[in-house]
Amino acid sequence: MTFSTVAEPLTIGGIAGLLMLGFVVILWPKLDRPLALLGAIASGLYAWPLLLTSEPIALTLLDRFGVNLVADSLGGYFILTNAIVTAAVVLYTWQAPKTTFFYSQLLILHGSLNAAFLCADLVSIYIALEVSGIAAFLLIAHPRTDRSLWVALRYLFTSNVAMLFYLVGTVLVYQNSQSFALAGLKTAPPEALAFILLGLLVKGGVFVSGLWLPLTHAESETPVSAMLSGIAIKASILPLLRCALVSDDLELIVRIVGVATALFGVTYAVLEKDTKRMLAFHTVSQLGFVLAAPIAGGFYALSHGLVKSALFLMAGSLPDRRFPVLQEQRIDRWLWIPLAIASLSISGLPPLAGFAAKALTSKDLWPWQSVLMNVAAVGTAISFAKFLFLKPAPGPQAATFTPNGGFWAAIALLLGGLVVGNGFYLEAYTAESIVKALLTLGAGWLIYWTIVRRLAVKLSQVAEEFDHLLGAMGLTSIALFWMALSW
Amino acid sequence: MLEAFIFAVILLGFLGTIFKQNLIMKIVSMDVMSTGVIAYYVLIAARSGFFTPILPETARAVDYADPVPQAVILTAIVIGFSIQALMLVGTMKLARDNPTLETHEIEKSMVSQPQSTSKSHRS
Repeated sequence: MTFSTVAEPLTIGGIAGLLMLGFVVILWPKLDRPLALLGAIASGLYAWPLLLTSEPIALTLLDRFGVNLVADSLGGYFILTNAIVTAAVVLYTWQAPKTTFFYSQLLILHGSLNAAFLCADLVSIYIALEVSGIAAFLLIAHPRTDRSLWVALRYLFTSNVAMLFYLVGTVLVYQNSQSFALAGLKTAPPEALAFILLGLLVKGGVFVSGLWLPLTHAESETPVSAMLSGIAIKASILPLLRCALVSDDLELIVRIVGVATALFGVTYAVLEKDTKRMLAFHTVSQLGFVLAAPIAGGFYALSHGLVKSALFLMAGSLPDRRFPVLQEQRIDRWLWIPLAIASLSISGLPPLAGFAAKALTSKDLWPWQSVLMNVAAVGTAISFAKFLFLKPAPGPQAATFTPNGGFWAAIALLLGGLVVGNGFYLEAYTAESIVKALLTLGAGWLIYWTIVRRLAVKLSQVAEEFDHLLGAMGLTSIALFWMALSW
Repeated sequence: MLEAFIFAVILLGFLGTIFKQNLIMKIVSMDVMSTGVIAYYVLIAARSGFFTPILPETARAVDYADPVPQAVILTAIVIGFSIQALMLVGTMKLARDNPTLETHEIEKSMVSQPQSTSKSHRS
């Protein structure tokens, strides 16, 4: 029995089952943690055969007005990331005083993200994204402080307005091709493309329209940040990749936006002095890497999701959020070692998955892109030198760090995934790409040590104000319209 | 003509979300915008005809409306309504400490509020 024969019941059952599990957990509070872990493991098992299938399995429910699902290896990478990140978050919070409601929302978010990675028509994508948005809102607002409420409201408001634009684009596509399938984008009018791309770009935290992201990801609780930055943000990145694969014009737009995002995010990340905000801005830049090479995007998203959620979990255990303060003190050696491994992976040091992902991406880049992406890669090395050059304490003297078993289990899972993840692309290990990776790292560390360490530029946060976020959305839609019109 | 009106509603709603200071007004503007979007779906469904698309035993030779956009927008209405409800509940909670609900004021208080003391009250 091959996978494709059981794909339909497995896929539909998997999506529905995970969402149902989210509600069952409420009724069975004692089993909340094991059930959440079970859900994550189930989608991890589902992702494996997807990674091995060469041909995408397209499922059309009802007829051509119905729901289209696509199970392919691109989506498989995202589902695997989702499974590992969710499992790590559950392990991390195993001994924490989290309520059952937290796990219920975590499972619903997990299930809706899986749905978003499988949907292949515009309306199903809309529904999956909105459900994941609501679940993310509830997770962010869960502490119910004024601050978390405001951050969550701001997130839901921005993403809902963006999705309204997306809906307008969707109906324009329908009017043109009498179907909601993604293939309709090929012949769609430019205004439809502009609206759909606007919705996905804002929701995915890309370029200027994604400036809502840093505050949201940096101010949430540690496990929620890890979940949001590790996987939730990629829910609208995969539909963008699928759009890019539909037509050449869209691919060009997505690639341009990807390069712009990578440079934009990394500039902020280099200059940022706050650990969690730096990680959040760096997420923006990594989304750019995923978009810049649509076919290789899946593997990059996997390696980034693992490393970023590990970094967010560890940043939550650092004695302070500010880099200048951290540089003054010594941090626990046992925290520094995994922090260094994660930083090295994301900067692209072999033999970690970050290196293989960067090599695979750079193979798929167009010539004009690679120059700019190399600059962005150096920027990544500079940003993460901030973590690497923290001083580890020689003995177990730092008393501020009290990890529990759950923390170590989560970190071991994520970092282990980074090493195993190499297996997806062993051909990356050529002399040329290893030398290139080492040069990038060396250049990044040199620039950090000589310039950035002493730099005291504080970037204004004005553009992150609520009104400006919405205004930027208007400007982005105009820019996208002209891009779509002129190509 | 109708299309122009609908786009005017969407645009006015969007401008309202930007230019209204009060959080409640922003949420209401968003609702205006989503009303516009829903109306646009209904308009496109009615392009082919106005007759309700219910097939009787003997089909009649009239212009039926397109059922697909209507079916789709029904889901979007439900989603929009639930998001609206969630946001209003969140706003209610926020109103306790920020009675004016002006977004600038809320943002300012978030910046001045230090990280550690932000967990001041739980309800």
